[in-house]
Amino acid sequence: MELPLFRHNRPDRVVTFDEYREEGGFEGLKKAFSGMSPNDVQQAVLDSGLRGRGGAGFATGRKWSFVPRDLPGPRWLICNCDEMEPGTYKDRVLLEHNPYSLIEGMTLACYALGVRHAFIFIRKGYEKAAANLARGIEEAKQAGLLGEHILGSEHSIELDLHLSAGRYICGEETALINALEGKRPNPRSKPPFPAVKGLWQGPTVVNNVETLANVPAIVANGAAWFKGLALNPEGAGSKLFCVSGSVKNRACVELPIGTTLGDIIDGACGGMRDGKKFKACIPGGASTQFLKPEHWNLPMDYETVAKAGSRLGSGGVIVFDEGHCLVEATLNLINFFARESCGWCTPCREGLPYVKEILTRIENGRGEEDDIAILREHVKYLNYTFCALAPGAMAPLDGLLRDFEDEVREHIVKRKCPLK
Amino acid sequence: MPKLIIDDIPVEVAPGTSVLEAARSVGITIPHFCYHPALAIAAACRLCAVKLLDGPVKGIQMSCALPAQDGMVVSTTDPEALKMRSLVIEWLMLNHPHDCPVCDEGGECLLQDFTIAGGHSRRRYQGKKRTFQNQYLGEGIHHEMNRCIECYRCVRFYQDYAGGTDFGVMGSAGRVYFGRFQEGALESPFSGNLVDICPTGVFTDKTGRFRARYWDYQFAPSICQHCSVGCNTSPQNFERETIKIVGRRNDQVNGWFICDRARFDKTYLNDPQRPREPRLDGATCGYDVAVDAAAKSIREFVRQHGADKLAFVGSTRLSLEGMILLAQLADAAGGARICYFGDAGQQQGSMAAAKLLNEENTAYVKDIEQAQWVSLHALDLMEEGPMLALAVRKAFLAGAQIFLVAAEALPARDVLPFKYTSVETLNQVPFEGGGKGVIICGAGSKDPDLLAEMASSGAKLVMLQPGPNGFAAALLAQEHGAAPLKELVAARQVRGVVCFEADVPEVLLADVEVLANADWRREAVTDTSPIFLPTTTWVESDGTAINFEGRAQRFQRTRIAGLPLKGLDPKYYGSATEAVSLHPPRVHRKEVPGGAERDAWRVMAQLIERLGGEPIEPLSGKWSSLKSLDPEGEGVRIFEIGLGE
Repeated sequence: MELPLFRHNRPDRVVTFDEYREEGGFEGLKKAFSGMSPNDVQQAVLDSGLRGRGGAGFATGRKWSFVPRDLPGPRWLICNCDEMEPGTYKDRVLLEHNPYSLIEGMTLACYALGVRHAFIFIRKGYEKAAANLARGIEEAKQAGLLGEHILGSEHSIELDLHLSAGRYICGEETALINALEGKRPNPRSKPPFPAVKGLWQGPTVVNNVETLANVPAIVANGAAWFKGLALNPEGAGSKLFCVSGSVKNRACVELPIGTTLGDIIDGACGGMRDGKKFKACIPGGASTQFLKPEHWNLPMDYETVAKAGSRLGSGGVIVFDEGHCLVEATLNLINFFARESCGWCTPCREGLPYVKEILTRIENGRGEEDDIAILREHVKYLNYTFCALAPGAMAPLDGLLRDFEDEVREHIVKRKCPLK
Repeated sequence: MPKLIIDDIPVEVAPGTSVLEAARSVGITIPHFCYHPALAIAAACRLCAVKLLDGPVKGIQMSCALPAQDGMVVSTTDPEALKMRSLVIEWLMLNHPHDCPVCDEGGECLLQDFTIAGGHSRRRYQGKKRTFQNQYLGEGIHHEMNRCIECYRCVRFYQDYAGGTDFGVMGSAGRVYFGRFQEGALESPFSGNLVDICPTGVFTDKTGRFRARYWDYQFAPSICQHCSVGCNTSPQNFERETIKIVGRRNDQVNGWFICDRARFDKTYLNDPQRPREPRLDGATCGYDVAVDAAAKSIREFVRQHGADKLAFVGSTRLSLEGMILLAQLADAAGGARICYFGDAGQQQGSMAAAKLLNEENTAYVKDIEQAQWVSLHALDLMEEGPMLALAVRKAFLAGAQIFLVAAEALPARDVLPFKYTSVETLNQVPFEGGGKGVIICGAGSKDPDLLAEMASSGAKLVMLQPGPNGFAAALLAQEHGAAPLKELVAARQVRGVVCFEADVPEVLLADVEVLANADWRREAVTDTSPIFLPTTTWVESDGTAINFEGRAQRFQRTRIAGLPLKGLDPKYYGSATEAVSLHPPRVHRKEVPGGAERDAWRVMAQLIERLGGEPIEPLSGKWSSLKSLDPEGEGVRIFEIGLGE
């Protein structure tokens, strides 16, 4: 069965507008505008079981259904392309090969939500993707698939590209909204949720690139088809996994939801690098707990990974082998989070550098027995922050202390990193 | 009305009240830094964590951001909540310099209090402290960024509340910095409030640094005397010197804040050059000698020229008590004239305002804040009533339209903290929904037709007054038929004046004889008057002032009068009889050096006695209900006690 996201991809260049159309692109849009009501489109997305691909995995159709339709004033759709989760580069690969699925998907989402003006919030460093999108938007407009009176209907939808300076926190939807409004990207307090009061106080939906890019195929082929793509009965659709670390071929691959961890590493990535032994991996970007060798045959779906004590997250798989020090790996991630804290709330702004200081000492052989207890306090109390950044940052540390406490203790007792 | 239980105490609060405020209502202070009642909820510091044991939400929650709901069971002492709060303090202390001994905030520092309360006492963090470069922020405020705990109060006040644009937050993560893009004086005329609102010592009052600790200060509730808004303040005094002035909350007037003039404009109170000694014909004398001489001079003048050629001149600086006794004094002198205003236009404007205003049409500050439109008529709001600009800003932020009428020439219109539409005349202001509109009018003279138009617009009215007690002056001028001094002099109806805190223009002095002058500051008349009687300032006396909306407010003596101990002339160190002065002083003096000043109204009472009258209790008769006015209360609008007409 052909998977929806990468099927238009050319190995060495971006797909052209004509190629995309010839291969069935914009069929979903045509289908929706010739006979489907906005409600039908939303229902199809709801029935398909599509879940947010940005990391949280919230059901997309349900998110759309929270938008009140009876409020006066405009509603907004924002595509979140502030991809900064360490280990995650799927949106970049997708957009550098094919901007049209996103453009078509956003047009359909706008149609379903009654949005007249949507934004793509794209981070710095994604200039190539942005250029593709800018060109794609122009081409779609020329072809009457975007802009005024789409396909001759009374519907008009504007799509704007916003090139952001980019910070990790801008991926948080309310911080993204603040940034788009020209303010500091500090998260907003919820409630009110963006679905009710978001951009310029209007109802707003913020969806990830991959999520929206899935919509055309769902509308064109139906919800049942999409559900059927998954290998496990509860799952739906395909997922982009970007694999990095100790594998032979580091790549972003599209695989059915429910593909096992072992199949991702051994199949799509050609196995472990240099015949090393698999020690652990982070399954879905930096803010998820480690998976261990016992999870080799775990089907990669939201529920199954959650049951294993981690999260599918963004699909950014970072693979560690027996030679990797997980204290050092965690420190590396914490370093990133400490730097990317927006500085709004105390636990995140001050707690993460605290954790960083302790992990640095442990890694350098200056750890103390009490440090583990302090780290555990942080794992617990950094949950009470303003947004999800610090709780996410604590996920790998939580995993480290849960599954690899012996390794941490070895650092402290031997007064050095045992793997160096 | 949500009912909840906080630490086993049943609490019922108004809908929308936060758990933090609900706890405060039963005497439980939940530690907090970023929360401030005047500012929007930030939920940034995470110190106000409590644990919800039962009800609609459970677990650790931030009490400032959690509206009280029915059925909540809140514990402020749950071990988990205590641990969270102690960790927040530990986090904040990672980088705090612990320089309390050399910090001017020490002793009045929220961070000190809640650090002690938080239970964190042992440093576990082994890393280095982060440091910042401080900025020069002008002559009012000292910046010490290392102490910052990033509660965001300053920027939320400066930008959101006061509309300032030159100060903000920069950087991210552990490097957030609160300051200006470039060094330089803060532009907002409300910048001084950063001192009050900062929970620690990042912003301290540069004009009074390192002079005294909080517990050294003498304080009392006072009323600012710089304009007719009547903001509530607390002057902080030490050794006969007003070191700092801070805002005092009054939700009916100034809310929590004061303007920079109220805070920083205080050197005149401590000025060693202030005329403090009674003088007779150029020579220092005893106070009673000067009062006797004044009485004699008045009697002599009346005998020679008749009482109607003599005027007792006050000003809008006088307290209500002084104004009342001034009228009795003129009466005791045989029916002399009374002046509360120098200028005819000023008197006309002030009296017309007092006459027009009543309980129904006089705007409360809340009316300004909730107005749908505000029209500023011919006034320089930042000069005549800066704090009202913040009330107008609140209305503006809530969507009100603001109009500036006939204000082309005003210098300060560019610094108004709101956007406005300029119009030529009041007619061009659309009056729709008049009931929710407010017209703010300056203190100048007022055209009767225009006033009639304003009165019939249905809008609530704000009529600013010339000087802190202009409203009272207008009422008494009406009652006693007072005339503006300039007019009397020009018409040659008056040949002699006795001045009490009066601002007599120098040009008039050629045409009148000054018999005596009582004042706390040096005026043109001070040097020409043969008799000088020093009086106390508003920080050194009790009194009552009536602000622009007819609100009578009591101010209390915050310190005794006299020369500040700092910089005191060594001649005061020894005894008056010994030739050589000793330092340090080894002799107790009975009198305070330079402390001869008396309250102006008491001087009047003594003069009345000398002239054979029986001085009345100032707040008696129709004013008697003001006698029990609570200095810490909200004051009372005179309409409510039947004094308006």
